Amino acid sequence: MSRRLAASSATILFALPLVAAAMAKRPHYGGTLRVEIGAAVASLEPSTTPANPEETAARTEIDSLIYESRDADGTFSGAQGSGPFRISDWQPAKELTLAANEKFSGGRPYVDAIEIAMNRAAKDRLLDLELNKTDFAKIAPQDARHAAERGVRVSTSQPDELIALIFSAGSADKTTDAVREAVSAAIDRSAIANFILQKTGEPAGGLLPQWISGTEFLFAPLATPADGTAKAKELLGQNSSVPKLVLGYDSADPLAQAIAERIAVNAKEAGISITTQALPQGAAARSASLMQTDAVIARIGISSAQPGIALSNVLATAATITEVDASPLPSNANAQDVLDRERAVMKTHRIVPLDWVPQVYGLSARVRDWKPPAPGETWPFADVWLDPVPQASQ
Amino acid sequence: MTFRSKLFVNFILALLASVALITVAVTLISRKAFDQLNRDHTKALIQQFQLEFDRRKEEVQHRVKGIAEEQETTAMAVDLSRPNSDVSVYVNDAHGVSQSHQLDFLDFVGNDGSIISSQESPARFGYKLDWVTQQQDWASRGAFLLKIDTQDGPQLGLIAVSTVRVGDRNLYVVGGERLDQKFLSSLVLPDGTRALLYLNLEPEFQSANLLNQSGPAQDADRLASLVQREQKNPKPQSERIVWSVYPVNAEEFYAIPLPENSKDMLALFLVGSSQNAAIALERKIRWLAVAVSAVGLLFGLLLSWWAAKRVTKPVQELVKGTQDVADGNWSARVPVHGKDEIGQLAKTFNGMTQQLVEQRDRLVQVERVAAWRELARRLAHELKNPLFPLQTTVENLQTAHDHSPAEFDEVFRESTGILITEIQNLKTIVTRFSDFAKMPQPELSPVNLNEIVRNVVKLFEAQFSAVGRPPITPELHLEENLPLIQADATLLHRAIENLVLNAMDAMPAGGVLMLRTMHTEDNVRLEVSDTGSGLTPEESERIFTPYYTSKQHGTGLGLAIVQAVVADHGGSISVESETGVGTSFHIDLPIHPPQIKVTPAPPILVEQPVHKA
Repeated sequence: MSRRLAASSATILFALPLVAAAMAKRPHYGGTLRVEIGAAVASLEPSTTPANPEETAARTEIDSLIYESRDADGTFSGAQGSGPFRISDWQPAKELTLAANEKFSGGRPYVDAIEIAMNRAAKDRLLDLELNKTDFAKIAPQDARHAAERGVRVSTSQPDELIALIFSAGSADKTTDAVREAVSAAIDRSAIANFILQKTGEPAGGLLPQWISGTEFLFAPLATPADGTAKAKELLGQNSSVPKLVLGYDSADPLAQAIAERIAVNAKEAGISITTQALPQGAAARSASLMQTDAVIARIGISSAQPGIALSNVLATAATITEVDASPLPSNANAQDVLDRERAVMKTHRIVPLDWVPQVYGLSARVRDWKPPAPGETWPFADVWLDPVPQASQ
Repeated sequence: MTFRSKLFVNFILALLASVALITVAVTLISRKAFDQLNRDHTKALIQQFQLEFDRRKEEVQHRVKGIAEEQETTAMAVDLSRPNSDVSVYVNDAHGVSQSHQLDFLDFVGNDGSIISSQESPARFGYKLDWVTQQQDWASRGAFLLKIDTQDGPQLGLIAVSTVRVGDRNLYVVGGERLDQKFLSSLVLPDGTRALLYLNLEPEFQSANLLNQSGPAQDADRLASLVQREQKNPKPQSERIVWSVYPVNAEEFYAIPLPENSKDMLALFLVGSSQNAAIALERKIRWLAVAVSAVGLLFGLLLSWWAAKRVTKPVQELVKGTQDVADGNWSARVPVHGKDEIGQLAKTFNGMTQQLVEQRDRLVQVERVAAWRELARRLAHELKNPLFPLQTTVENLQTAHDHSPAEFDEVFRESTGILITEIQNLKTIVTRFSDFAKMPQPELSPVNLNEIVRNVVKLFEAQFSAVGRPPITPELHLEENLPLIQADATLLHRAIENLVLNAMDAMPAGGVLMLRTMHTEDNVRLEVSDTGSGLTPEESERIFTPYYTSKQHGTGLGLAIVQAVVADHGGSISVESETGVGTSFHIDLPIHPPQIKVTPAPPILVEQPVHKA
């Protein structure tokens, strides 16, 4: 008896860690997911229009949590609160508390609630992640490396945002194809990716990333900066006079500013005078404000993993800034059609791809089953659960 | 101008000259003192600037060295010394490190000169700063000025370089401070001075690059010429700027090119020394001098007047005394003040007048005696002539009465006739003397002198050609339109009559009597000339003296009367005579005689001027 008992005790003692580990991998219900976002959402009413793209994106993420389903056109259907969460507390532009919807058709989410703190600056979000004051926050790509070095759990998506220099429609009489190509050739994209983006990104050659189109390598930039500078000088040699260009960037986007300044330095080496100019927040995407600048640094998100749709959306966004063929590709367009359109646009050098950057998220150690959303998808908070005793990083 | 006025003016001129001299001297001395003060201020400010500049250099060097010696920097250097090290990790480090060390510029530069991280130009990572690798020993170099290209354009920095060596590879830490108005604000400026800094970052003068303690200086273009001179030839120079039309707004600028003793001027330190205070004080001194001078002049004026009066009073008294003496007041005396030259002069004057009075009295006494003697002689002579016939006649009457009674009646008749005649002569003599003593006062009325002359000549026409005497030919040369004169016609008639009688007596052998009238500016002139025997000079001098005569008969009163009449009419008479040729009397009578004074009869006992009266 005692030997059996001793044997059982030993078995239990041996099995306990295995049981604990098994229990830890099982989703856990409960807990409040603390989320911080940079946008200040002023209203959740469908009839109100967001003030800027950042608020638009935040509204989309929130709507995806409180509405039941999303249609193909991107709009949400159903009543507010019919989604996995319902609004529990709402302080416009400050804080939103969502409670788990017990009657959600897709099943109750794991977390009991989500507290979304709004209008949090990037450095504050990063600091809160470091101090474990929040469970989830978006991180700027250039801060990802630094955050990881400081112990923040970082989640990175596929490169799904194109940073590009787009010549404005108003610069047509000032910039020739050769000048635009020279500017494109002079830019050291690798340096931008390695230094400014801190390797959280990669040089862009085409309008679609390699992992979507499979053809981006065909638009690869020149191998070395020296080659690019030489090519730019060669191109400018054909022009009797090189105009002085003004490059605008979103004043609220430090990444765009850093890239713009680097481009100005690269261009200067090639003999092109570019001065940078800060534009009002969000104005970089509006063509009206571009009348004062010859080009702008734009960040265009890829909205779909389908090449045709993605390219059409990229061109539609770019068309608000420059003159480009933005007609939607037919639904049955094949890879060659997409490549042909992309090649035709690239030939004009009105859109100069610079780098691809992913979406970077900071997570606390207790967040489980987080997967970065694919292009066109929203944050999957309904599938996330919180580890009550976080053991290790996911 | 009186002597007092001259003396007063001389005193004032001397005073003015002294005040002006003192004012100019004070102004020049004060200006020189202010110039020296300004130079001292400028020198002190330059020294202060150089001390501050050196201090900043040491501070910058110390900070950069501190960064290089930090553990993080050493770790960076160690990391970068490894093969295939990731440089991009450090691309943003310069910003944070520069802020923590309060540096405006900071670059981490790799062994090959490539920028690893840059504070002032973050986008220039990867590009090379070749000059960093060319210097072997940065530790001994110290801080220096450097033109730095930034995203905001070129700037001027006080730069130091420190090296972190790991193995055979160097990591260069290039850091510094911006040289701008903040640097100027650390200087303590004396009153009236200011410091400017020109950043010589462009080939041409840029007004925006001229800074004062608060930013770009105003009216910077006015200093363009000085800056441009320094750009061509960097050396300490100065220039005076007048900021407005008023000289008080002048400012002296002293320029020191930086770095010193270098052909490549990167900055220009300017010390402006306002001339405002100096000029204001100079003006104040000048106005004070003017005010003091004015007060001094006023006092000087009064003192000069008092001194001039004090000095000239004895002289004026002397002048007055002299004038009194000249006017006949020989008893005039001058007060004697002190024993100086003027006092001695007054004393001498008084003595002289005293002697004159005494001599005059003696002379009068002598003249009086002589006159009485002359009168006695003349009376004796005049009375002797009638008395002798009277005596003879009376004796004849006695003889006839005693010895010839029959003829007595006839003798008696003849004798009584003679007696009556001679007594009449005596009465005539007495009447002449009486008339002379009773010269009447002229009664003036418009008189035609020509008419009087003609009447007198007509009166004597019979005597001119009287039988038994050589004829006298009268010649009248009377100016037509002779103006009427205010005169007593009777007295003038009598005077001219005397002159004609005198001429007739002078021409016993006949001759020509010429009477001429003429008109001068304010007078009429009458000339009465004869061709007689003429007068000796002695006679000419004494001819108007009463009772003096050169003739055997006559009272000697005729010409004295003429002189008295002429004098009573405010005129003058003179005589020209040449022995053997003739005599000519000239009478000048004023057309409008001054108010007639009662002229006493010529002092018969006093000698009068004879040749002209």
